[in-house]
Amino acid sequence: MKVIIVGCGRVGARLAKQLDAEGHQVTVVDQLVSAFNRLGRDFGGNMIVGNCIDEAVLRRAGVEKADCFVSVTNGDNRNLMAAQIAQRFFKVPRVITRLYDPIRQSVYREMGLETFCPTSLGADLVRDYFLTGVNRGHETADDPSTVGAS
Amino acid sequence: MSPAGEPPYVIIVGGGKVGYHLARHLIERDYEVTLVEKDAVRAEWIEHQLGTVSVMVGDGDEMAFLATTGIERASAVIGTTGDDEDNLIVCQLAKTKFSVPRTIARVNNPHNVAVFKALGVDAPVSATEVLMGLIEAELASELVRGVAVKASGACLVDLALPAVSGFVGKPVAEISLPKGGIIVCIVRGGRPVVPTPETVVEAGDELVVFSQLTDVAALGEAVARG
Repeated sequence: MKVIIVGCGRVGARLAKQLDAEGHQVTVVDQLVSAFNRLGRDFGGNMIVGNCIDEAVLRRAGVEKADCFVSVTNGDNRNLMAAQIAQRFFKVPRVITRLYDPIRQSVYREMGLETFCPTSLGADLVRDYFLTGVNRGHETADDPSTVGAS
Repeated sequence: MSPAGEPPYVIIVGGGKVGYHLARHLIERDYEVTLVEKDAVRAEWIEHQLGTVSVMVGDGDEMAFLATTGIERASAVIGTTGDDEDNLIVCQLAKTKFSVPRTIARVNNPHNVAVFKALGVDAPVSATEVLMGLIEAELASELVRGVAVKASGACLVDLALPAVSGFVGKPVAEISLPKGGIIVCIVRGGRPVVPTPETVVEAGDELVVFSQLTDVAALGEAVARG
């Protein structure tokens, strides 16, 4: 798969490394060159420095031929705009965006955007632990691919 | 829409230079205006300057906050922040959640104009593009040169139409050129179009005009101003 990830923070970098290791063609976009340090030396994908809500930058990242697009910058509106450019303007088949605000999540889900919300996911995890004594938050933390990630 | 007789109600999101001056301008023209600004200090300053405007401190992209601005009765919502993503989301929320009839967004990156249109903003306005157009028009009026037709004193002039030209959108019959210049050909997308009086001139067209050599400078100005 050709995957574009915008936002090379903790989530973006981790996802990029995983998909790259699994053999997918990954391109990461971030405004700051220093953000790419998170990818480590073994990362074999492309890195594009630029503004993810500029369609010229997305074209450079290969959005026209991408199979998947993920927006995980630290701004909800920025993620929403980038994801909508990918989905509605460039017709990328699979687009998903992170939103911290659950209200905005429900609005944009109604408008046909795939989203995930760490705020509600996190709250649900903690609530489940309180109610059942089982902490599902540990399930992915033991994943070997996270070893050495910073 | 506002009932007849009442002033139209407009919500401006973003109290920077653009938002502030726009609010002032609209109030002078008897609009009812609410200005939304994130920064409390800036908001207080604007309220002090404008007096009659209602300034609300808050996040224009928070649904719960927008609902308190009286947005259901607004004729228009205008996003004037310096961030394209914020202007876009405000307009989309206004349109889809509050059925605001008209959404207008300041577009800071001219690349984004087409994107804003595709994503449902009624009127994306790019100050950069407008400014570039005006400067281009100024340049054009300086740079127009004619090709002389033998030694007759007449010439053919190739005039690139700036997007801001008043000629754009008019049929040839309604375009009056100085001292009887005649549009003999329109170059559109690199191809010649033989104009009829009904042919409507589009932005980006080049007009090939038959004129007197002495009138070339005036032609350039006419095209720039329309």
